[in-house]
Amino acid sequence: MGEFNELIHQPVRLRIMAALHALPPGSQLDFGRLRDMLGITDGNLASHLRKLEEAGYILVEKTFVGRRPRTYIAITDVGRKAFEAHVEALRDLLAWEGEAGEQPPSP
Amino acid sequence: MSKSHPPLTPDEARQALELIEATARQMRRFAAYGGMAYFLLLWGTVWLLGFGANHFVQDPAMRGRIWTVLDLLGLAGTGYVVWWLHKTRQGIRWGFGSTLGWFWITWMGYGLLFIYFAQPQDGTLLSMLLSLWAMYGYVVSGLLFRSRLLVGLGLTVTAFIVVGYLALPAYFNLWMALFGGGSLIVAGGYILSSWR
Repeated sequence: MGEFNELIHQPVRLRIMAALHALPPGSQLDFGRLRDMLGITDGNLASHLRKLEEAGYILVEKTFVGRRPRTYIAITDVGRKAFEAHVEALRDLLAWEGEAGEQPPSP
Repeated sequence: MSKSHPPLTPDEARQALELIEATARQMRRFAAYGGMAYFLLLWGTVWLLGFGANHFVQDPAMRGRIWTVLDLLGLAGTGYVVWWLHKTRQGIRWGFGSTLGWFWITWMGYGLLFIYFAQPQDGTLLSMLLSLWAMYGYVVSGLLFRSRLLVGLGLTVTAFIVVGYLALPAYFNLWMALFGGGSLIVAGGYILSSWR
């Protein structure tokens, strides 16, 4: 059974986690590329990344490519499991709806 | 942070799953297609011209020279695209690190060993083996990149190679120019047009 995760469920963070989870394990995504994909500002993305990083769901690495600073983001094993559990919880909810024709008990 | 039963309706859950799927699809597409189109267009053109030369040029020595020039241009073009991607895109640092590069290096080494020891005398058989060998590389690369398109392309062209060799051996080179090179070019063009 899945586990609903309120931190991940916020739409922007949900998309961040979905994007990072779609990459092969160990891969890192460029900050600018992620920002462009999500269509949000640097500050907004940084704020969401900070929350995910504090939860241990992502790793943020600042480095240089030539003389240009780059920030790369990767999902952690903990984040991968939390995201998968969250997706499973969402699917469980739909499965319950399909089987019982009614909503599951609220918490 | 709270973890509990979902405090949301099935419709909200459905929307969230759709958002996840759309984002993951967008990411996979970017990850798989970043630069791949250029490699496919490049090597599709090499195959189109090389196999076309095999069919239309009578002199074997000339055919060999044409293939040598095309392969060298293909390798130089590949190196340029890799360099250009490294300089300009910088979108993803792959988790498999140098595995892909080492795969292609060992792929080339083993392929050359097989051809050296097997010494196929029949030119069509040699072309068929080299083409299968190339498609094996595409399929493995597709698996590493998690690209269904690249795996599917590799398997499709493999089927073309086998069918052409078994059913139309006299026209195998023309078949490969059109369906082998053509498939790579079409796939590369499709990626470029759908991605931009």
